[in-house]
Amino acid sequence: MAHFGDMAKLTRRQLTQSVLASAAIAPWRAYAADPSGQASTVPSGTLTDSGITDSEIVLGVSTAFKGPSRGLGIELYRGAVSYFAHVNDQGGVHGRRIVLKLRNDGYQPVPAVENSVKLIVDDKVFALFGYVGTPTVTRVLPVLKKFQDRDFLLFFPFTGAQPQRQPPYDEFAFNLRASYKQETAGLVDNFVSIGRERIAVFYQADAYGRSGWAGVRAALKEYDKKLVGEATYRRGEQYTAVMRAQVERLKKVNPDAVICIGAYAACAAFARDAIDGGLEIPIANLSFVGSENLLKNLTDEFGTESERYSRWLVNSQVVPSYEELAMGSISEYENLMTRYDPTPPPEFEEHDYVPFAKSFTSLEGFLNAKLMTEILVRAGPSPSRALLEDAVFSIQNHDLGIGEMVHFSPERRQGLDQVYYTIVDNNRFVSLTDWGAKFAA
Amino acid sequence: MRITRLFQRTMFGIFFLFLLIGVSTSVVSIYSVDLHLTSEYEENSRDIAKTIADASVDIILNRDLSSLQSLIDQFVEIQGISYIYIVNDTDEYLAHTFVPGIPEEILESERQVGETVTRNLAGMGDFVEVSSYILAGHVGSVHIGMDVSHVALAIQQAIGNQIYLIAIIFFVGIFASIWFVSFAAKPINSLLDYAVILAKGDKEEEPAASSEQILTRNDEVGHLARLFQYFSTVTDTEKRENEPDVEEPK
Repeated sequence: MAHFGDMAKLTRRQLTQSVLASAAIAPWRAYAADPSGQASTVPSGTLTDSGITDSEIVLGVSTAFKGPSRGLGIELYRGAVSYFAHVNDQGGVHGRRIVLKLRNDGYQPVPAVENSVKLIVDDKVFALFGYVGTPTVTRVLPVLKKFQDRDFLLFFPFTGAQPQRQPPYDEFAFNLRASYKQETAGLVDNFVSIGRERIAVFYQADAYGRSGWAGVRAALKEYDKKLVGEATYRRGEQYTAVMRAQVERLKKVNPDAVICIGAYAACAAFARDAIDGGLEIPIANLSFVGSENLLKNLTDEFGTESERYSRWLVNSQVVPSYEELAMGSISEYENLMTRYDPTPPPEFEEHDYVPFAKSFTSLEGFLNAKLMTEILVRAGPSPSRALLEDAVFSIQNHDLGIGEMVHFSPERRQGLDQVYYTIVDNNRFVSLTDWGAKFAA
Repeated sequence: MRITRLFQRTMFGIFFLFLLIGVSTSVVSIYSVDLHLTSEYEENSRDIAKTIADASVDIILNRDLSSLQSLIDQFVEIQGISYIYIVNDTDEYLAHTFVPGIPEEILESERQVGETVTRNLAGMGDFVEVSSYILAGHVGSVHIGMDVSHVALAIQQAIGNQIYLIAIIFFVGIFASIWFVSFAAKPINSLLDYAVILAKGDKEEEPAASSEQILTRNDEVGHLARLFQYFSTVTDTEKRENEPDVEEPK
């Protein structure tokens, strides 16, 4: 990442790259929100109710840029920005740059609702994009229903929950990632297949946790089994939280595996206290957890000793590993992340956050942006919200460059179905290919 | 301030009367506020339970449980409500707000839907739980727990305000009664002074201004003063008439 202090050491080529990157990312910085969540500037050109000007397409983002889950919002944003910056460098979509109007909700439902209303009513964005979280999105969906006469759509929220995938709110959202139902079913199938049938859950006490809990419960029902136990934590817990009470609850039921439905800080705290408490069994996490941030919490505290904690982790992912460079989009992701190296939005930046060079979350943000761009291209030179849905439905067997075709229809509002499984090896997440060898009971 | 003994008793009477009113009003007030607020909290919680129960039917039958969780999360933000849980018709917990998990006391207790249940949950405190059936119990039931200490605090605050008001009225009443008594006692004291002067029979002494004032009063005290003056004059006259004529020694 280039800093002004390093200018003297830069070569001419690096300097040119740095200036180009800054210029490409500038629209997001200039048109972001201030720390209080209020708009600080207006877009260039005259913004109409459509969210489109002659030179810009404005997408509204409300996400967690601050708070215990900021790593999710920031990384998702960084991945998306790296692709949009690239598109803008290439001249934009039909001559219009893609601009993000940013608001911070801290992964809390009430600010998410307030931000959404502001994005729709005050900021007059074209569409909503890249939201983070089930408790937030679940509460935002009625806002979209309220403004349905203005055809607002929510694209690619970072949640696998069901509310935006089923009536009555499915018509207001498009998802790219696989659902939590699919992730939890995959985890349960694999655990059961290796004889780990006594499954317990550790989950966030909110809509997200319940969504995952329901997924595990439904998957176990397929095997005529039930959850053997459960423990919860309050949303917003930090890594410093003590999870011994939760560990004790689960130890009592003697599980073979625990599936965690939470965010990275709390799940890392649970993994730490579980292993310290003698609960040495596989601890699975869903894609939402933010795998790299979870591992970072453990390695920051335990350094080389963190292997003792991380060796039991198995995380499901909804995008391929960013190490799969043979895939076109993965290689493009690596190139663009390196070229633009997006920083967190300066308006929300908390200087103790160190972004990751690559992460599953930013890769998902990147793929979200890539597909969003494709939709905007298909929407044509005179896009409108009313016709945006048709542009989405025109995507049939579209190659997103990750080895899985994407297609949408009125009956299918989720682009991808594939779930991947990863474990920690040498302090990085790698694909899990043999469940039996790693976790057999 | 000089208060006659006659009024001292009256004043103590007033003091005790105020005290009695204050204490009895406080007791009645505490009882009625406690009863009223507790019943209001229970009623409100029961209404919320019914609202959730009505809204839950469609969610449980047709939608994802995360919507159900989202629904109860919104209600648990209301002050006084500590927990909510929903069970289905087979007594399986579909959604709840407990951290780190459903308390053993609730897991082991027999379900009593429609009744008010008092619970002591280890590590959490005392709660009053109300409930409502979902679709007449065919889908399940909603249970809402109110923190007794929160309700008690609200009751204490309401009672505290009432006692504060009663105490102010009590002290104002006491000071007012002292003032009234001393106001009433002042002419009686003047009358007493006047009577003393008459009793001394000191005719040479110039009548005090207060004596003049008391004789001109147009109330019972004035009448009494004039009566004393009359009796004094009559007594003097009779006294003079009854005195034997003393001849000068020749």
